[in-house]
Amino acid sequence: MSNFIAGYIPLFDLYCLHVGLALSQFIVLRAGVFSLATAAFAGIGAYTAGIMAVNFGMHPALGVLCGTLTGMGVAIVLSIPLARLRGVYQAIATVAFIQICLSLNIYSEGLTGGAMGLNNIPKTVGTGTLFVFAALASYLIWAIEKGRLGRAFNTIRQDEAVAASLGISIRRHQMLAFAISGALAGLFGGLEAYHSYAIDPRQFGFHLLITVLSYVIFGGRNSVIGPLVGVAFLIILPELARPLAENRMVIYGIMLILVINYMPKGVADTAIDAIKARRLKARGGADI
Amino acid sequence: MLAQQLLNGLVVSGVYALFSLGFTLVFGIQRILNLAHGAVFMTGAMVAYYTVDGGGPLWLAFILAVIVSGCLSVLVEITCFRRLRKTGDEEFGGVVSSIGAGLVITTIAQQVSNTQILRFPFETFPVVIFRFWDLRVSMLQLFMAGAALLMVMILGYLFYKTAFGRRVRAVTDNEHAATLMGINPNRVYSQTYFIAGALAGAAGVLVGLAFNSISFVMGEPYMMFGFAIIILGGLGSIPGALLASVIFGMVQTLTIAYLPSGLTDTIIFASLFLILLFRPHGLLGQEDAGNLGSRR
Repeated sequence: MSNFIAGYIPLFDLYCLHVGLALSQFIVLRAGVFSLATAAFAGIGAYTAGIMAVNFGMHPALGVLCGTLTGMGVAIVLSIPLARLRGVYQAIATVAFIQICLSLNIYSEGLTGGAMGLNNIPKTVGTGTLFVFAALASYLIWAIEKGRLGRAFNTIRQDEAVAASLGISIRRHQMLAFAISGALAGLFGGLEAYHSYAIDPRQFGFHLLITVLSYVIFGGRNSVIGPLVGVAFLIILPELARPLAENRMVIYGIMLILVINYMPKGVADTAIDAIKARRLKARGGADI
Repeated sequence: MLAQQLLNGLVVSGVYALFSLGFTLVFGIQRILNLAHGAVFMTGAMVAYYTVDGGGPLWLAFILAVIVSGCLSVLVEITCFRRLRKTGDEEFGGVVSSIGAGLVITTIAQQVSNTQILRFPFETFPVVIFRFWDLRVSMLQLFMAGAALLMVMILGYLFYKTAFGRRVRAVTDNEHAATLMGINPNRVYSQTYFIAGALAGAAGVLVGLAFNSISFVMGEPYMMFGFAIIILGGLGSIPGALLASVIFGMVQTLTIAYLPSGLTDTIIFASLFLILLFRPHGLLGQEDAGNLGSRR
């Protein structure tokens, strides 16, 4: 039995790490920002934390804190110019940002190790720490969602004009969403650095962007359950499909197409809506 | 030296033009950012390789590549975007859906090619080099430039001189009104996607021949450069994409030749970022693009 569990611990670690990144993507989409910069923030966090540990021998807790703060700082700075853009333009600008980070990272070999990546990072983060941080992050996002901030984000996403007329500062709220997103991505990037001995620049490129975005699309963009379910599903799916290992990215792609076309709210949100509707019906469809 | 670089840049520009014309065309008509375009481009190169590998002549390979990529592009439109357009979520959904399609196509290509870099057999395209004064021009470069120019001219003719072009422009302007005039928008969309895919496939073959290295990931850098080009030209603008391709091809060749090599990408994407901030409608795009409130 313990062997059975031990075999799945790496998978669980991956789950916790990616929950953090998925929540970072989730919060910006929720605030109506089509930003895909999570991968870049995660890279910045991971490299800050990694360099702190390798070059300065810093304590892991401080290193992760540095990663988080750097991720947040960069996100805040990035949010200022991005406030001028909307929709696809925002998405392209963030993709450009990811590419800029990637190429600068490869270029500045002295500091980051270039294309070879940063190696020999002491492994100081275990499963327990990852789980605690993933749980904390989920709680944080859940709390935001339940409060005034969540309602403000909802209004902005649905109609900016209405939000502005209700006295919600769009610029400030989107900056806040960016800050949270950057902090979360930086945090989990830092954790990843301390968890995996080595990081390399390509790890935080376009591929991670696709992965993280898929989690949120798959699970749902409306409640915090969405990313949690999305990550679980897309991490477990390849394991179930081991016999089809070669075709698993095909399945992944087809899933993305099917979900966005036929279940645009995502698996979890569609299920939640269905349960709510049934409860209403049982109550006789009274007050909505 | 400079003249030689400019000449090389011009040839590269032609390929970029073929790639980004289809990219911008689709956006102009449907406001969809088709992220599967790079995969279609790669498919063109693959089809050409396997035709030549199977003993077919190069001209047949070229034609097959163009047709297969065109059809693939139509398939992407039907499976990924048609339903989304009805629900009106095409801007966000289209990005996700086309990422899925790109993933499927590249993974299949990865399996077919066994994750290897494929090379055309030696002298698939005759290696002939002409000299004018100090300039060296290979036959392949002439062919590339000629093919690109020809295709762009055909496209221009189709769009601005034929009934088909008028239909496309009508649907772009107002799908509903065009439908009332008896135009079947879905058909127009399919035709446009075919053209976009065919151009990308042609670009794929040319790139495959020029660098003689074909792999399942070859579409990704072109997608990224494609972003830069269509933004610079103005999303959805055909003349803009052409102009931007030339500028981009030149700048890229010159930065590679004269600046520290690692920084090329940084410069390209940093300028893309700046263009987005200060002139989101690009050189020749519509004024209101990308600004606040234009989406609704």
